[in-house]
Amino acid sequence: MKLTRTKAFRVFFTPIWESNPVSGQILGICSALAVTVQLKTAIVMSLALTFVLAFSNFSISLMRNFIPRNIRIIIELTVIATLVIFADQVLRAFLYNISKQLSIFVGLIITNCIILGRAETYALGNPPFLSLLDGLGNGLGYSQILITVAILRELFGAGKLFGYQIIPASFYAAGYENMGFMVLAPGAFIAIGLIVWLQKTVAKEENDGKSH
Amino acid sequence: MSSTVKSILFVTILSIVCSSLLTLASTGLKDYQLRNVAIDKQINILKSVRVIDDGHSLAPGTIEKLYDKNIRQAWIDVEGKIITEQLKSEHNLPIFLYVKKNEILSYIIPVDSQGLWGRILGYLSIKNDGKTLSRFTVYSHSETPGLGGEIEKSWFQNNFLGKEILDDKGNFTAVTIAKGSVEKRILKHRQKNFVDGISGATLTGRFLSEGLKQTLIEYEPLSKRFRNKETIKGPGR
Repeated sequence: MKLTRTKAFRVFFTPIWESNPVSGQILGICSALAVTVQLKTAIVMSLALTFVLAFSNFSISLMRNFIPRNIRIIIELTVIATLVIFADQVLRAFLYNISKQLSIFVGLIITNCIILGRAETYALGNPPFLSLLDGLGNGLGYSQILITVAILRELFGAGKLFGYQIIPASFYAAGYENMGFMVLAPGAFIAIGLIVWLQKTVAKEENDGKSH
Repeated sequence: MSSTVKSILFVTILSIVCSSLLTLASTGLKDYQLRNVAIDKQINILKSVRVIDDGHSLAPGTIEKLYDKNIRQAWIDVEGKIITEQLKSEHNLPIFLYVKKNEILSYIIPVDSQGLWGRILGYLSIKNDGKTLSRFTVYSHSETPGLGGEIEKSWFQNNFLGKEILDDKGNFTAVTIAKGSVEKRILKHRQKNFVDGISGATLTGRFLSEGLKQTLIEYEPLSKRFRNKETIKGPGR
């Protein structure tokens, strides 16, 4: 059996592009709008979310046969909240500046629909290893969109990447201006819209290709 | 075992596991976090007197060195006299001094204001003429990001540069955060007592104005001494 045909492979890679949580399922948009002004914050946020998602999926899947059905949402939220607070504490200890910039958005990972969504639809019904992969895949899918949007916004909004000037001063001398619009939330909204459009178009062509 | 008992038992065990994990993380990381907070305060004090600028990230060691070199902590009594740590009592107000060659260039007042959602903590620095502001910085607040949260951004904090706490006639008046742009809304001769507000955060501005006023009144005896040129020499270590 080829690697690309294994179930684990599909579980991991489908959410990265095909059924991407942000551009495919339109989940987790709030934080994607809020923390993508700079690449640095977007990457830290992506790591935090991927960490929470992978481990919440894993631990909920471990307990899936013992969780009483009637209180399962409470249990899931307890696990997710614990992981989020843990991630927040670690950021405050080691990446204080970035955690200040991310402000409430780390705490708001608790309410990110991707996490509860994956716990409900996947982790409750699948074994731990696959759930871990599913969490990682979805986390990376989210990260991929966040980082793409952040690159677009920081490059066109501020002419920088990671805080370093990318667009040379001679461009500005020749009349180039930063797009102030990209720094504002609607800029991210339009960037995400374009990614969704791109993804839907590519997915459609792939499907057409298969049916012929 | 009935399902209710089972549920309660499960929740209890899970709560104990989760809370002990968090306690462990919180106590284990506390030292790092406290050091970060202390350094962040030093950064804000240094920024308020423009020893360091925004956008430069310096190593914690460098910041501690800069702070030791430029800043002295002192206290003032009710008459505005600067006293050192050995003589202070609990009624004295803390103050930070930006000292160069034994001369005080600016004094930095800790600001503890009410905000819309919580306390706003920061520093306000005033030059040694006792009336001209240099900058306002914030190191802790709980205002809404993008609205009141803009108080932590440099565009807002730089608005304080050159503003004064005296009106035309030389009487004390606190600096006030205007509703919107100062140039459009405030009479010309009063513009130096107002700073540009944040659109969408009128209430934060109102609370912060009030907090700044209270703080400035408390420290007015000291400002008076600076205006009368009574206090220029910096205290020893």
